[in-house]
Amino acid sequence: MKFELAVQALTDAGVEFVLIGGWAAILNGSVTTTRDLDLCYARNSENHRRLARALAPHKPRPRDFPSTLPFIWDATTINNGGMFTLISELGPIDLLPEVAGLGAFDQVKASAKLVTAFGREVWTLDLKGLIAAKRAAGRPKDLLALPELEGLLEAGED
Amino acid sequence: MTELGALTVEQLATAERRLLNPQPGTRIQAAREFGVDLSLMLEQLRLSPSERASQMLEVCQSAERVRGSTRRTAA
Repeated sequence: MKFELAVQALTDAGVEFVLIGGWAAILNGSVTTTRDLDLCYARNSENHRRLARALAPHKPRPRDFPSTLPFIWDATTINNGGMFTLISELGPIDLLPEVAGLGAFDQVKASAKLVTAFGREVWTLDLKGLIAAKRAAGRPKDLLALPELEGLLEAGED
Repeated sequence: MTELGALTVEQLATAERRLLNPQPGTRIQAAREFGVDLSLMLEQLRLSPSERASQMLEVCQSAERVRGSTRRTAA
């Protein structure tokens, strides 16, 4: 897993994205661990081109895709898709066009803060956004994360 | 543009007070009762986001090394 390189590749390529999920929780102070990189990305042609270019050298493929079938990672594939759960040489990367409880990229970015991490400046979902997303997702694993996130929010409130 | 950085001295002092002496009915108290280790939470809040990322990257790399070692031992 090379999360640092993945974030650097995406930011250096000018991809518009917000870090969500486990890494966003970690940057906000959670002690949780995660095995993938979850991102919400902007749905527009230019961003799809940048996203394709940034990840192509790292051979992304859908995790649930048979290894015997060919897969082409390019802007057209991204245009025709939406959510991608990828495995790559950098590790697992999940790309989401929207986040439950928040909405599409613009709404997600409105709940994000700019964070210096991984040697770059990265838009990262804030605690209130993470809590809204976990609540809306509503799966047991999401609900289990709520007490810690709500505690963190209260600890840091003015 | 909003930035997320390390807590200020005042914010950290407030967080320490709340986490070390959680009050009944608060979300922090609920987190403790749920099983969240508040001392670990406080340790994380003492770090900058960048330091939190670096620390977690080290944890991930250590886990990878242990998994690799376990696989080699089992082979």
